[in-house]
Amino acid sequence: MENKTLASVRKPIKVLDGKVMLIVCIIIVAFLYAANIFGIFSSNTMRYLMKIFLYITMGEMWNLLSGFTGMTSLGNQTFIGLAGFTVAVATSTYNLPIWLGILIGLAIGVVVAFLLSFVLFRMRGMYFAIATWVIAEAICTAFKSWPYVNMGGGMSIKAKPYPKTPEIYLMALTLFVVAMIVVYLLLRTKTGLGLTAMRDDADAASSVGVNIFKSKLLVYVIAAGFTAIAGAIFFINKGTIYPDSGFNIDWTVSMVFIVIVGGIGTVSGPVVGAIVYVLLDEFLAHFPGWSNIILGAIAILVILFLPDGIMGTLQKKLHFEIFSQKRFSEHKKDIGKKAQLQ
Amino acid sequence: MGNILTFEHVNAGYGRVQILHDLSFSVEEGEVYGVIGPNGCGKTTMFNALIGLIIPSSGKITFNGHDITKVKPAQRCQMGIGRTYQVPRPFEGMSVFENVLVAAVHGANHSEHDARKVALDALKLTELYEKREIPAGELTLLDRKRLEIARALGTEPKLLLLDEVAAGLTEAEVQDVMKMVANLKAAGYSIIWIEHVIQTMVESTDHLMCMAQGHELLIGDPRPVMESKVVEEVYLGVEEEDEE
Ligand SMILES: Nc1ncnc2c1ncn2[C@@H]1O[C@H](COP(=O)(O)OP(=O)(O)O)[C@@H](O)[C@H]1O
Ligand SMILES: [Mg+2]
Repeated sequence: MENKTLASVRKPIKVLDGKVMLIVCIIIVAFLYAANIFGIFSSNTMRYLMKIFLYITMGEMWNLLSGFTGMTSLGNQTFIGLAGFTVAVATSTYNLPIWLGILIGLAIGVVVAFLLSFVLFRMRGMYFAIATWVIAEAICTAFKSWPYVNMGGGMSIKAKPYPKTPEIYLMALTLFVVAMIVVYLLLRTKTGLGLTAMRDDADAASSVGVNIFKSKLLVYVIAAGFTAIAGAIFFINKGTIYPDSGFNIDWTVSMVFIVIVGGIGTVSGPVVGAIVYVLLDEFLAHFPGWSNIILGAIAILVILFLPDGIMGTLQKKLHFEIFSQKRFSEHKKDIGKKAQLQ
Repeated sequence: MGNILTFEHVNAGYGRVQILHDLSFSVEEGEVYGVIGPNGCGKTTMFNALIGLIIPSSGKITFNGHDITKVKPAQRCQMGIGRTYQVPRPFEGMSVFENVLVAAVHGANHSEHDARKVALDALKLTELYEKREIPAGELTLLDRKRLEIARALGTEPKLLLLDEVAAGLTEAEVQDVMKMVANLKAAGYSIIWIEHVIQTMVESTDHLMCMAQGHELLIGDPRPVMESKVVEEVYLGVEEEDEE
């Protein structure tokens, strides 16, 4: 303990969010768009990347809830299923265009999140987690006996012309880019500053003026919205949706895997986690039945040996943070000046 | 000067367990109001009711002319009530500076830019300035207590609630705390100070309340309260029990 408090002389953390980092990100994103427009990627590559984009988005949202706000949800599949079914109903029952289906799916996700908040936010920790799961299961069960969504028989998404892989890729890429920007900006706001405090101790946070309900609601609605769109795009790619595929707890299992392996409470963690997850998932598809066991084993190994996840551990060891939400007492420019003087 | 705070016949507790029984007292603006009483008599619970973590089943709490009995904690903080926790509750994943910055941004409603200065001032006052970039989870107990005060000051309160900030400190450190409280009073804060160190309370407070079993037992000038028979009995009685 004493030794640790001597840490005022520890190595300062270098935050990578300056111009260089921004340019690197813009180049990567521009390349991902350009590659699509000029047809550089094969459809297979595009399918991998699309999956990665969607899983990053879902992971970032789960991380926003659990890693930054302390709301560990086991029920984000609620929004995936709802949006997936909305697109199916909109396009096949009402012949609406697919983009409108996505928008209605987003709206339904947001409204449902808003309504659930009044029940869910009375609970904390484990109770909150289990309640979110129970709600997802309840909706799944309800859908199985609801003729409007073809009971348990599944629905297909109908659109003419049906979006092709490059178009779905573009949707996923755009969603991922917007999600990253929103997460980054949200964490820089006043509310964002209060989130970490809330995660660490909600009562203490409320007694220094953090409006717990408002902050939770904002985060939950944002997470629901983005997760919903990710789900909609996923099922547009798939073509059909069943209650058991839309509202499956496996969605949450993947999100947890992605965030834990990548690094919970870091902005870059879910990006790395999602890449690892999608590659592993594709590879393990050759070993049906084993894939969940192997994924579980990997998650346990990471928790035991890299409790901060890949990015969390790297950042701690190498004293850097990418797009960190951290606030420092001195402006970066001042620190730079000091370093020059020395 | 008028009262900044009044409790009128407050009954409150946790779930079905009632801890505060018909508690009434009032604090004048600008004074240091001492609260003593045996362990478990409900002093900390009184703070919990005062900041809104628990809502009284009956009775009324008035702060600065407003009925706050049912107001949410965050709003009470913004109205000017700043509290420290007896068992420090830092935001462990944040730096010392960020802990206080949250308070200045959310409690005092500053922009982050202005809050920076407020936070740094609070850190200087509590001698945490040098440790501002350390994760709060790595602080020693004494520093955690300092951080409690710094965070409360960051919210720019009118009424500051100190819950056993001197407990467990050395004689010299207690002197420092007394000096700090005197400075805060001079700076215009009203203060409620829960403490066990008897001497401190006689010297540093304007009024003293002794609580017993969730009720005010005796309220008055510090010395007469401290020297009264009833207070001695309830205090010593329990302390002897404690030793068994
Ligand atoms: N969160 C809680 N839930 C239930 N009972 C509590 C809680 N906190 C304190 N108590 C009980 O309330 C009583 C008063 O506690 P407290 O207000 O902390 O006393 P004091 O601060 O005067 O030592 C004690 O009997 C304690 O066990
Ligand atoms: Mg106490």
